[in-house]
Amino acid sequence: MIEAPAELAVATRGLVKSYGRHTALTGLDMSVPSGQVYGFLGPNGSGKTTALRLLTGLLRPNAGQIFLFGQEYSWRDRKRLFRVGSLIETPSFYPYMSGRENLVVLAASGPITPLARVDQVLEYVGMSGRSKDPVQTYSLGMKQRLGIAAAMLSDPDLLLLDEPANGLDPGGMVAMRETLRWFTRELGKTVVISSHLLHEIELLADVVGIIDRGRLIREGQLEKLLEDAGRVRVRVEPAQMAQAAAILGAIAPDRPLYGIDSGDQAGLFTVNVPVARAAEINRALAEAGIYASGIEPGSDLETIFLEVTGTGGSVGDRPVLPA
Amino acid sequence: MRLIRAELLKARRRQATYVMLGVFMGLMGVIYLLAGSAFQFIGIIDFPVAYALIGQFAFGLGGLLAVVYAAAFVGADWNWGVLRNVIARGESRARYLLAKAVALAILLGIAMLIVFAFGILMTYVTGLIWGVPVASPLRGSGLVDLVEWLALGYPVLIQRAMLGLAVAVVLRSQLAGAVVGIVLYLGEGIIRLMLTGASLVGRVGQGFEDGFQPIGPEWFQYLPISIGDYVVNAAPGGGSSLSGGLEQFLLKPVPLELALPTVLIYLVVSLGVAIVALNRQEIT
Repeated sequence: MIEAPAELAVATRGLVKSYGRHTALTGLDMSVPSGQVYGFLGPNGSGKTTALRLLTGLLRPNAGQIFLFGQEYSWRDRKRLFRVGSLIETPSFYPYMSGRENLVVLAASGPITPLARVDQVLEYVGMSGRSKDPVQTYSLGMKQRLGIAAAMLSDPDLLLLDEPANGLDPGGMVAMRETLRWFTRELGKTVVISSHLLHEIELLADVVGIIDRGRLIREGQLEKLLEDAGRVRVRVEPAQMAQAAAILGAIAPDRPLYGIDSGDQAGLFTVNVPVARAAEINRALAEAGIYASGIEPGSDLETIFLEVTGTGGSVGDRPVLPA
Repeated sequence: MRLIRAELLKARRRQATYVMLGVFMGLMGVIYLLAGSAFQFIGIIDFPVAYALIGQFAFGLGGLLAVVYAAAFVGADWNWGVLRNVIARGESRARYLLAKAVALAILLGIAMLIVFAFGILMTYVTGLIWGVPVASPLRGSGLVDLVEWLALGYPVLIQRAMLGLAVAVVLRSQLAGAVVGIVLYLGEGIIRLMLTGASLVGRVGQGFEDGFQPIGPEWFQYLPISIGDYVVNAAPGGGSSLSGGLEQFLLKPVPLELALPTVLIYLVVSLGVAIVALNRQEIT
């Protein structure tokens, strides 16, 4: 039997889940350290939500193991979920009841939750003022806040949040970030957060796991991942992209080259070379008569994500260029 | 207890609870007023005649609405996606469903009492309109009759509601649960009528040397809706259920000693099916 270290709040080993003929998870191995924020990333349909549903007992795995707080968790072991709070997919509430009443009826299920906690979590997410209004009058952002409040209701040791920033305004996102940081750093609890907002994850997560086609393809401390993924970002005129791609491709022929050929970011290349070679890149482009409008050393989560999931537009061997 | 209280709060806040009861009482009121002219020929409106009328509404049309309401009450958790909140908190699926069933039973009990009170009121109103005196509802065996009606009708009402609950859980939808519940409810009446006809044809083939005798009880009289009618018909003044009529002359009734346990078995089986279905379901 595979053991999961006790310092892991969540671990999955060889987790498989199929829906009919479609296999959503093909052997997921994730390790979420206790007391940290784990950013769970993946393209649409990669299996993030399925994984979170399996962790909360909504689905049964076809194979593999789940460990919660160091001990194996089975689908029927429902009381283990008393230590888990979750927001899976869209926040769901009775539309005709107020936000507060929804939390009151939810508090009646699962672990014993004092009613005072309802007002406390409403305060955390800044919903006290509208808590007596029917949920059907809430905006998506307000429902999202209420969903986060519901997840925190039982004062859980582990929070599983699926796209919690959906619909939040900038103020709401900052508040959520601060609340989750406080949750992990001050209270020592664990957060797993799946999101498409890579910048948000970069600001929040300590550890990142990237899932693609049902399998974890990269996992580790965010700082280390960014450090390992040495790269230089170069911005040129979009019209010069083909010429620049040939030059940049020659600088690191064995490493993939990424470029964005449309939209606001058109003309932006990511060259996978150590930062120390930034000057060499600048010189090579200048010698060819291409003057970079920007050269940024370092890397970001977006680039790593696009690289490992293969969802970015490559202009290496087969440039994709604007007409 | 906290789960049951929560379910009752959900029902109290939900408009459908009041709409359903309002529609039912509205229909009952209109029919009472329209049919009130028949009271003129009675001379005096007495109980249990009035209780029988109220009972037929409460457990006939009321039974149908109980199926629909139960399906809406339970199926809404799938429609609004709130079930996953509860399951993900580690709540027992069986306990959650049982709490819903108990809350439904409480709500239907209250609704039944309201309907009977409203029926008694409508009896007086109708008597007043048509100039027919109304006897006291407690005169003679009035109180005992009333208790008997409630005691026999209540399990039937709950059994029908549990049927709606089970259908909604299996189909995971309030609308599908309500529609299938109605189809089952009305469909069984039609099937029973057809099977009664078929049995009668068979009986005709055997001749009538001893004069015409009702046949049965036949197997189809034990179907989930039909069997409840026989329990309700056993109440004082009962015997002309909504789906009854001609059948009552053709078929022997199922005795109460058999009908009531069968209703209770259906009730438990429906709830059991719902619990097993929910336990096996994956919540997406």
